[in-house]
Amino acid sequence: MKYKAFCKFELIAASREEAISEMLELFPAGEQTRGLLASGLEVREQVGATVVHKGIALPHCRSILVDRLTIAIGRSAEGIPWPLEKVHTVVLFISPVKPNGAEEHSIFLSHIARCIRDSGDRIAAVSGQQELLDLLNFQTEEQEG
Amino acid sequence: MDKQLEKLISLHDLDVMIADLNRKEIREKEADLGLLAEGAQEELIELREAYSKSINRKWLGLYNQLTKHYGNAVVPALMGRCSGCLTRLPTAVCSDPERNSRVHTCPTCGRITYWAD
Repeated sequence: MKYKAFCKFELIAASREEAISEMLELFPAGEQTRGLLASGLEVREQVGATVVHKGIALPHCRSILVDRLTIAIGRSAEGIPWPLEKVHTVVLFISPVKPNGAEEHSIFLSHIARCIRDSGDRIAAVSGQQELLDLLNFQTEEQEG
Repeated sequence: MDKQLEKLISLHDLDVMIADLNRKEIREKEADLGLLAEGAQEELIELREAYSKSINRKWLGLYNQLTKHYGNAVVPALMGRCSGCLTRLPTAVCSDPERNSRVHTCPTCGRITYWAD
């Protein structure tokens, strides 16, 4: 099964906050919802930066503001301070709060852990959008249907 | 959106984050990814305490009571219904473009409802 993700290969953000905000803009949500999601993601970052491999960050949370697992991937050639180390690849995801939401969240964490274990260095240094999607076993939301 | 409603939604998500760290399968997977900082849960609980102080006592009391009773105090309204108990919500509220500008509760279960934008 391929996960669907919004994708922005050339992030212009120069900070973690900007990167989260830029990636949330890809989501089909209103400004208020995006603002609340950004706060939730920032709270999660405050208790521990989500850098999971050299060059890869995984900002995430669970929220009642989404009704399905919502993922965005972003890439910055320049690198984004997160804030102690620079990251180039960002996988942002928000899991829903519903009866099986925690299980879905857990399964996705396993999926990401496996991808990073198998191809972490390649994911961090990837040079093309399709290559990144393939390494993560994702497809773009636009490819739906 | 009403500021108190925003805070209640954020408090709910914060509670979910804290509860997730009590789930063995999530805790193990976060640790496997190197995501689980030592003391993260305690830090979240402290944040929650500080955050809840900024919420009106009336709404915080209701929130705590509903959480104790149902597990979830805040729910989205979907297709004119409370997604907690599926009761149809008053049409006048659902059709009001300013419906998120105050805190609404479900007339049946009492859960706090909001409309996604």
